[in-house]
Amino acid sequence: MASSLENLETQLELFIENVRQIRIIVGDFQPQGQNVLNQKIQALVHGLQEVDKLKSQVQEVHVPLEVFDYIDQGRNPQLYTKDCIEKALTKNEQVKGKIDAYRKFKAHLLVELNSVFPNELTKYRAIRGDERPLT
Amino acid sequence: MADQYRKVEQYSPKSSPRGARSPVVSRQDSTGTLKTTISLGKNPSIVHSGPFYLMKEPPGESELTGATNLMAYYGLEHSYSKFSGKKVKEQLSSFLPNLPGMIDTPGHLDNSSLRSVIDKPPIGGKELLPLTSVQLAGFRLHPGPLPEQYRYVNQAPQRKHKNKHKKHKHKAGETPSQETQVTEVGQDTHEKKHKKQKRHDEEKERKKRKKEKKRKKQKHSPEHPGGLTPSQHSSG
Repeated sequence: MASSLENLETQLELFIENVRQIRIIVGDFQPQGQNVLNQKIQALVHGLQEVDKLKSQVQEVHVPLEVFDYIDQGRNPQLYTKDCIEKALTKNEQVKGKIDAYRKFKAHLLVELNSVFPNELTKYRAIRGDERPLT
Repeated sequence: MADQYRKVEQYSPKSSPRGARSPVVSRQDSTGTLKTTISLGKNPSIVHSGPFYLMKEPPGESELTGATNLMAYYGLEHSYSKFSGKKVKEQLSSFLPNLPGMIDTPGHLDNSSLRSVIDKPPIGGKELLPLTSVQLAGFRLHPGPLPEQYRYVNQAPQRKHKNKHKKHKHKAGETPSQETQVTEVGQDTHEKKHKKQKRHDEEKERKKRKKEKKRKKQKHSPEHPGGLTPSQHSSG
């Protein structure tokens, strides 16, 4: 997969480079440049053929549509990854906070229940297989 | 007390159907959480019409939970260490430093957005064939520079850090040799233009100096009695 992506990247780079050279030739056109221009145009078609050949190798690549929005706004698409990671970090902190709060609540509840229903709680803990003393 | 506890225990959340209505009070209980009726007044009473419980059905068990390090599971640790807390350059050109032209402008301005490709897919499925000589004749151009309105496209964004990126890439030996040639050509033309400009400026200055010398001579000559004194001249 990685090599096919690299192939596509190389082909696209060559294609872009070809277009850039055509732009320079056309920018201040000299009569003797017609043959070179014709060659470049044919190279353009060839480049498109090469890119087209590679499409079957990258069918499995899934790109989130949101990435395109970043690119369309002229922003670095790596910012999308960064934003996703930051969102995951924030969510992780929130969930961890909830887990910690529930854990403390559970411990506190067991202590309080133990003081009110000591027998029931002993049975409960026996069923749970938790014989450790309550803190 | 213990008896009461046992009674409640009989109605386990699993055995009693959720959302069951109280048999005592004929009242619609759409939520299914209220199973006790409390009546106030002279003789306040609490009627247990069924169990009530706070727990919903637990979620179905899945193999992958938050207990697993999901970053490691999906192989994202590298991305995590690369991006978390570090500053990433905002511009698209810093991600694609070798791409020519102005790529940091919004895509919808010059109709180059990727979204438009998805919304209106281009016509495809046709075989790509090299152009025939007749077709190539359509690309015969007139000599000379492009009209003014199309020339701006040639201007690459000039930023120092971008050039640094380019140099770095060249060193890595990844870019094709063609590119270096063309960029050199581009630089050459730029230098030539610069030199022309310089020469032009130098000529202008020389002419100016000549004119000034002439003026000085005229002012200091006895024919011009109202001329400046040397001290006045130096200050002026």
